[in-house]
Amino acid sequence: MILDVSGNMEGAVMQWFDTVKTDFISSFITGDRWRMFLQGLGVTLRVTFISALLGLALGILLAFMKISKKSNGKRTVFSFIAGIYIDVIRGTPVVVQLMILYFAVLASVNNKMLVGSIAFGMNSGAYVAEIIRSGIQSIDRGQAEAGRSLGLSSRRTMQYIIIPQAFKNVLPTLGNEFIVLMKETAVLGYVGLMDLMKTGSYVVSKTYRAFMPLIGTAVIYFVVIKIFSLLLARLERRLQKNDSR
Amino acid sequence: MIRVEGLKKNFGSLEVLKGIDYEIHPGEKIVVVGPSGSGKSTFLRCLNLLETPTEGSIWFDNVLITDKRIKIDPVRRHMGMVFQHFNLFNNLTILKNLTLAPVKLKLQTKQEAEENAMRLLERVGLADKAHAYPSQLSGGQKQRIAIVRSLAMNPKVMLFDEPTSALDPELVGEVLDVMKGLAEEGMTMVVVTHEMGFAREVGTRVLFMDEGRILEEKPPREFFENPGHPRLKEFLSKVL
Repeated sequence: MILDVSGNMEGAVMQWFDTVKTDFISSFITGDRWRMFLQGLGVTLRVTFISALLGLALGILLAFMKISKKSNGKRTVFSFIAGIYIDVIRGTPVVVQLMILYFAVLASVNNKMLVGSIAFGMNSGAYVAEIIRSGIQSIDRGQAEAGRSLGLSSRRTMQYIIIPQAFKNVLPTLGNEFIVLMKETAVLGYVGLMDLMKTGSYVVSKTYRAFMPLIGTAVIYFVVIKIFSLLLARLERRLQKNDSR
Repeated sequence: MIRVEGLKKNFGSLEVLKGIDYEIHPGEKIVVVGPSGSGKSTFLRCLNLLETPTEGSIWFDNVLITDKRIKIDPVRRHMGMVFQHFNLFNNLTILKNLTLAPVKLKLQTKQEAEENAMRLLERVGLADKAHAYPSQLSGGQKQRIAIVRSLAMNPKVMLFDEPTSALDPELVGEVLDVMKGLAEEGMTMVVVTHEMGFAREVGTRVLFMDEGRILEEKPPREFFENPGHPRLKEFLSKVL
């Protein structure tokens, strides 16, 4: 990508286009490398979806554990366990958690994709738990009091009154967490998974040209994430339609 | 109908109720007045155990509801409560606000509950709002809905916690009218309010609370014309 500034303008531009073209061909066309990028994207998407689902399930469970109280208002043992879990997960880098899980805890499991998904699911679960907890606690206490005063149990009050409102409030934040999760999976290469990022750096190592494969990787991430955020914005608008508060 | 003995409530080190003894009989309309921080709302909220008393006993229909073994949810079905800030369920339509509890608690079928709800909405002149959401209503409309939401459970007693305090002055009348109608039908009511006109007109007995105690308790005429306690005299001279 070195430009010949001493030559005339036209020549320089032509030369630049030529380099870009050669770069593009060697990065994506030679040896059908675009297929590799596509496969890498597949891995990234699969791990993201599986771990997002795991994280959501785990996050809901942890959130309810964390807000659980005994009848005298003190925290339960579940609440303590959830608190410690969230603390540890949020206090360590995800790539460290991933490597611990892959090389130590689940070393006997051969399925890289599965271990990767579990690692990111466990990580995301902690963040989702905090999102859901804050969503539930952001609902005005009067809503719960009104439910309870009508004779509804605390479980039913949660189910019919608090959760639907909390869900609507946290949807944008959950969507954001999904996007963050997808970007974080770019460290999957540390355990030898050929995700999108790893594919990019593999191609760099083959072509000895860093610019085009990495820009290509960035563009693919950006386009996919843009699509998801547009879908999310649409869902949000639909949910918001009938109750503006 | 409701009997309270030795009721005390602390919030941390703050003593809000310092020993309340009182009995409410069927059909009575008890109006509780007093300065802010006197404990009158806390007293009301203890009656259906939205606040757990620190000490003391409360009987409802001869059942000791402060007993730890009592399941409070079935008891609360018979005690309607109306809040200062309405607390309509924001995620549900007006009709659903009224039918949620009776249907989910299997007291009425969906159809029965909806018919009943429409009758109640017509009674407060809001049948056309059945499919609206709370955010689309005025404060006065919300409070009228909150009242009939409680009535949909066919309660034996209605508790009102400053039902008009959060309303524009113009909208107070429409809510008080609904409450007066309810009183005329013979509903047992406990009303915490600053509306002295309502106390005088509707109350069968008026309580004056200050600093966690009931200082005076009289029929409204005597209460306003012949106040005994010096603290009440001072209070009335300020609010009337």
